[in-house]
Amino acid sequence: MAVSKTTLKSLFGVYGVIHRQPLLLPSTLRYSVILSTRSIHERDYRRPGQPPDTRWPWQKIQFDFSKGVEGVKKHIGLLKDEFVQRWTGPEGRPLIVHMLEQTRVQWEFRGPESLNQWVVSSDQEIGGRSEAYIKLGKNNTSCLLYGTLCSTPPRDGETRYSGYCTLRSKQSLASFDRKKHFDWSSFNTLHMRIRGDGRPWMVNVSTETFFSHQKDDIYSYFLYTRGGPYWQDVKIPFSKFFLSSRGRIQDSQHVVWLDKVKSIGFTLGDKADGPFQLEIDFIGLCNDLAHSEEFAYELYKRNPEI
Amino acid sequence: MNPYVLAILLSSLGLGTTLTFASSHWLLAWMGLEINTLAIAPLMAQHHHPRAVEATTKYFLTQATAAAMILFASTTNAWMTGEWSISNLSNPLASTMFVAALALKIGLAPVHFWMPEVLQGLDLLTGLILSTWQKLAPFALIIQTAHNVDPLLLTLLGVTSTLVGGWGGLNQTQLRKILAYSSIAHMGWMIIVIQYSPQLTLLALGMYIIMTSATFLTLKMSLTTKINTLATTWSKNPVLASTTALVLLSLGGLPPLTGFMPKWMILQELTKQNLPIIATTMALAALISLYFYLRLCYAMTLTVSPNTTNSTTPWRTQTTQTSLPLALFITATLGLLPMTPAILMLTT
Repeated sequence: MAVSKTTLKSLFGVYGVIHRQPLLLPSTLRYSVILSTRSIHERDYRRPGQPPDTRWPWQKIQFDFSKGVEGVKKHIGLLKDEFVQRWTGPEGRPLIVHMLEQTRVQWEFRGPESLNQWVVSSDQEIGGRSEAYIKLGKNNTSCLLYGTLCSTPPRDGETRYSGYCTLRSKQSLASFDRKKHFDWSSFNTLHMRIRGDGRPWMVNVSTETFFSHQKDDIYSYFLYTRGGPYWQDVKIPFSKFFLSSRGRIQDSQHVVWLDKVKSIGFTLGDKADGPFQLEIDFIGLCNDLAHSEEFAYELYKRNPEI
Repeated sequence: MNPYVLAILLSSLGLGTTLTFASSHWLLAWMGLEINTLAIAPLMAQHHHPRAVEATTKYFLTQATAAAMILFASTTNAWMTGEWSISNLSNPLASTMFVAALALKIGLAPVHFWMPEVLQGLDLLTGLILSTWQKLAPFALIIQTAHNVDPLLLTLLGVTSTLVGGWGGLNQTQLRKILAYSSIAHMGWMIIVIQYSPQLTLLALGMYIIMTSATFLTLKMSLTTKINTLATTWSKNPVLASTTALVLLSLGGLPPLTGFMPKWMILQELTKQNLPIIATTMALAALISLYFYLRLCYAMTLTVSPNTTNSTTPWRTQTTQTSLPLALFITATLGLLPMTPAILMLTT
């Protein structure tokens, strides 16, 4: 590059890393094509009120050889499993098991490694004061999501509302970090065993959204918990889930397709400050043969042409 | 869908294929292919469902890439040889690139990856159009240019497609994906013989269209898209369940059903051309496909699944769907083998 190292260093030295620097490409000076760190960094999430992270990508590298070797071993092991399980049948189980399957427990919390499949977050990411944590419950038989909600909005000049927390399952990955989806098409009901504290939660199911370019599309339904010492069996048919995008319920609704489910999540945002607790024993699916509803909401076209 | 829009789209589909059939200039042929792609895109996305949008996006990207490659191949050939005529694709670079583009268009292995995902996101009727009508125009082009193409490439494409179609369909539980892999395998059979006897390719294509139409229309009649719901069709329509088992065996290529005809003729032609190893490989690869067709028959007719419907006699209620096309295709799928000599006369 014609732009010398000393020029670069002086630029960075004078203005510092925090400010964004336009970097002119030498061969196209006439057309003044600007390559700046802004276009690279503002693809990631920027917490409101914070300056953007303007490091170049090569400054963010953290290289570790042993971790690389472990990663290769893990991925090749997963790939070998994928090839070998094809001999047995779809998803590694014989077809007769798939045909006879009426219920399935998808997530159950029986050991510390089960918590690794979940991500808990709250409005601390945007500067709020809620707290949310997960830990295993008594005897390692359940997952306890607990914390405190605080609906004071953070003082960054941008955010107006706050006070939420969410627990979401991570997308399962096949070998070499390829996305893996759940095929729940044999089932029509979500069955959970939970013990809450009376707060109203939302259950969110999200499907594959990469190709539809609607990455905020989520299918939600309410989960009213009854406080108290008794466990609650919640069965929500998938026909009841409605479509929302970034929290706003969409006008044109459709039923959730269950053949490419990405993750499930629970959200609490009921504007009530104070502690909360949700204990989950298992999350499973079942095929309720008595439930014949296809979709609970109207599918008519709004604003039809006359 | 608005009936005027539907009429325009369906007539554009017809126009595109007819244009490609009637053309002898590369640009007109390419135009026909593009019209087909553009006309089917709204039909695929009409339900505005994310999976339908996903299928449309994937289909459009692959088909547009293939069309661009076809255009590039034809302009390269025109630049090198000055010929725009379809049958004079003599430049080796152009003909190889054209075959790669056609492989992408019709879903031959190793560029078949879009096919199962796209078919899975569509409803059954649009999937039927995609599997049958959209194959006609590319085949019209490849039949005219096959003599200029490297024979090894065509053979490799054919054998790989039959093998991949067989292996890929083995562990699927969604019927549309199974039909996609079945389509890949059948395309392999058609491509393998194109350099020796294009008439057999046409025969195989015609028989494949009849059998696939019968299968798709059956699934539409019984409203099933996965193996578990297929297992309950015996109570809804017992006659359809029994004929569907035979249709699936016909897809697998078993005599005395129609599906045996193209496979028999193709194996005979390959043997006559002194290619016994390829013929054996193709026959063995067809066995893999037969396994998953048999598995569908097993799920549907040979076992009584516990996932029964609530009512015991749903077959007493009549369906409101038109059954004449289904009946015609099923009859053709089951009974055309004795007419092999007459059909061969038609295609030669």
